[in-house]
Amino acid sequence: MASIPENRFDEDEKRRNADHVSFLKHRGFRWLWIALLLSLVSTIGYALIDQEPRPNGGSWYGYTLGTIGLLMIVWLSLLGIRKRKISEGAWSLKAWTSAHVYLGLALIVVGTLHTGFQIGWNVHTLAYALMLIVILSGIWGVYAYAALPKALSANRGDKTGGDMLDTIADIDRKLDSAAQPLGRAASDLVLAVLGQDVFYGGAFSRLTGSYPGCATKRALNGIPASGSEADARVNELLTNRTEQLSQIRRHLRIKAMLEIWLFIHIPATIALLAALLAHVISVFYYW
Amino acid sequence: MAFLIRTIDVAKSGREIVRDRTVEQSALTIGRAKDSDIHLPDLKVELEHLQLSDAGSGMLEARALGELPFDLDGQTVTQGTIDPNAGGEIAVGPALLAISRDGDGPVQIIIKPAPKENAANEPEAGFLLASAMPSKRAMAWTFFGLIFVLLLSVPVISHQFRDRVENDPEDLNKGAVLMDASWSTGDLSMAHHDLEDNCEACHQTAFVSVQDETCITCHEGLDDHAKMDRQLTGMPPFSTGDAIQWDIGQALGKEGPLGCVSCHTEHEGPVKLEASDQKFCADCHNDMDVRLTDVAFGNAADFGEKHPQFRPKFYTEHFDKEAKRISLDSEPVEKSGLVFPHDIHVSEAGGAARMAMSLSQYGAPLECSDCHEKDENAPGGFKPVVMEDSCEACHSLVSGSVGGAFRSLRHGDVVDLMEDLARVNLGSRRTVVTGRDRPGQYSSSGRYYANFGRPMRAYIAINRALEKGGTCGDCHLRTTSDGRPDLIPVNIPDKYIHGGFFPHAAHGDDVAECTDCHAADTSGEATDLLIPDLDSCRDCHLGETAIETEEIVPSSCAMCHGYHTPAMPWRPEDHPDLPGNDGNDNVAAILSSLRR
Repeated sequence: MASIPENRFDEDEKRRNADHVSFLKHRGFRWLWIALLLSLVSTIGYALIDQEPRPNGGSWYGYTLGTIGLLMIVWLSLLGIRKRKISEGAWSLKAWTSAHVYLGLALIVVGTLHTGFQIGWNVHTLAYALMLIVILSGIWGVYAYAALPKALSANRGDKTGGDMLDTIADIDRKLDSAAQPLGRAASDLVLAVLGQDVFYGGAFSRLTGSYPGCATKRALNGIPASGSEADARVNELLTNRTEQLSQIRRHLRIKAMLEIWLFIHIPATIALLAALLAHVISVFYYW
Repeated sequence: MAFLIRTIDVAKSGREIVRDRTVEQSALTIGRAKDSDIHLPDLKVELEHLQLSDAGSGMLEARALGELPFDLDGQTVTQGTIDPNAGGEIAVGPALLAISRDGDGPVQIIIKPAPKENAANEPEAGFLLASAMPSKRAMAWTFFGLIFVLLLSVPVISHQFRDRVENDPEDLNKGAVLMDASWSTGDLSMAHHDLEDNCEACHQTAFVSVQDETCITCHEGLDDHAKMDRQLTGMPPFSTGDAIQWDIGQALGKEGPLGCVSCHTEHEGPVKLEASDQKFCADCHNDMDVRLTDVAFGNAADFGEKHPQFRPKFYTEHFDKEAKRISLDSEPVEKSGLVFPHDIHVSEAGGAARMAMSLSQYGAPLECSDCHEKDENAPGGFKPVVMEDSCEACHSLVSGSVGGAFRSLRHGDVVDLMEDLARVNLGSRRTVVTGRDRPGQYSSSGRYYANFGRPMRAYIAINRALEKGGTCGDCHLRTTSDGRPDLIPVNIPDKYIHGGFFPHAAHGDDVAECTDCHAADTSGEATDLLIPDLDSCRDCHLGETAIETEEIVPSSCAMCHGYHTPAMPWRPEDHPDLPGNDGNDNVAAILSSLRR
């Protein structure tokens, strides 16, 4: 009987390990090896099989690579549907994601060889370009998910997003009352600060951290610390506000970098499916 | 004047907190300043925003103290009067001041905060990038729709419903398909450049590959390389991949590997059509006899190493109606029907040379071009040699003179010759001897004498003319037809080489003398065939892969053979000047050259 708990522990440990292995390392990089093999075989075939007059998507080898590529793209894009149904086992979501990432990378090789390096301003190259955009954004996504959460939590410290917003709200209340003695011009500056959304700025501002229209900064410049007592108080509050805003904006920046890839990956995938449809139909329509 | 000022605040719980105070003074100031009578702590309000004062007769006057206006009963004003008995409402910043009076009581001013707009429900949602980006779904469907409509539906629909017009070079837009330029996989070749925006000129029917019939519309009169079934038999077997592709392609209506587009691939960029390389021909011709066992010509793969002996076409027997193709290896004898030693004529020292030097027409020993005159339009590149132009200066046919002008025998027909000879010399007839003579001017020495004797010597003369050494027999061979003396007809083909072409212009004086290739200076008989053989060409011409030197010219098949027109060079000059094709330096081309 003594061996049972030990076995049980081993079994549980194995499961725990499996549960915590990243999708990248899933089953000893199984899909990485499969993807490498696919890339290698495609490349060797491309180099050895003589296509007259020159390699082209319309040769038999080109059609073969094209068919493999098409099936891969359709399957890879099905992750969007698959991920909404969580299941375990050989085709767990982790296995699926692992295959998605590595086969997606192999698609660079298969797709590029399918083009025969013939690039132009047409729907065919559009499909190829969209495919590369999807893959590159995916690579960024994998990198972002691996690297950025650390930066996000380092910036946040022990604060939540809500805490940061509360701090701003608190400063704003103080600012509102501290600004009461101020004249019109200064009041307008403070009003603009209070009226501006904490999340002011578009996606570009978030990604670059550049907020040229920031009212807090303008108010800080317009209300000197060296003025009246009220001015000095407002200036101090604005400085505090700027600091808190910077933390929020760093947070926004990291979050934007973490999330932006999906805003490219998903629409570009759907656009790719349309371009692929147009590519395949047009090639045979004008055979 | 008494004012009852009632402030109503709303607690977080929603309960209203009401505070009243009464002020007894003639005017009230309203503003953000702490010492205002009605203090409104909001930055939108001026420090001293407005003043309410007694306007007499129970009326109140409201007047802005600064530059900012206020709202009175919904209108933005800087000054106004209020009848408290009727009631009025002033809005300053976020506060609403309702002014009223009950009978003779004090003026009541009820101050309420303006209703606040509700803040966003989930303030933290703002941290998500989604709050600063258009929705993924919206972007996805927008891009999908744009591509689906512009790059697929528009071309398909406009192709289906276009006017099917004949190609009109003047107006290519007629019946043009819209947006299908986006389908083009690359620029067309230069010769087809005008069709760039006219896809439907070639791609006529949906899902049907470009048909030969369509190509022939413009490229009429191009011959097949050989009979189609012979070509199919002669082709080497396909690789498994190609075989499967052709099987599928042909099952779906693509024309086979002998269709125009299978060699003439398009959309490969603005290139001009170039002659195929040696390998293209060698693919079939290297071992063609294995597949086409009855083929008349030998295998060929490389001019320097594997090419059959030339088989010029000429007459091998007198009176033959058809010329025959005979290999130069079989020591052929040409039966042209002529007697002509080239060596005597081209020698610089013999009698022929001296005679030519004495004639103003030549003034020097004979040269080949004196008889063989170049003519690019002639089948063999030379005008036919004509006796009257090339021979008669020496081999004269003058038979006498009439009134100071020479009279010549006609050349070309033995019957004509006999007539001419019959007229040659009336004086040579046998005199009729009767013992009597006619009188006066009719006597044999008189002006009107007529000789009625038989023209015997003329008949003898024709026999003599046709004999060897006679006027005709110098150059012609005698025979007898229908019992009458005659000459063997001259049989010289217009051209000797039929399976290829030879441009003499490319082998001009700076390259070679005629006698370098044609052994005219050592040929003593007209039966010598002076067509140079394979080996003599190989002195300079070797296969495509030969290394070029001052003497060696690497020569691919296309230098002498055309694909559609075997005996004629393919003529790019049909098209305007096109620049040469640059070396293709893309990855595929480099790989493909490495592979070879």
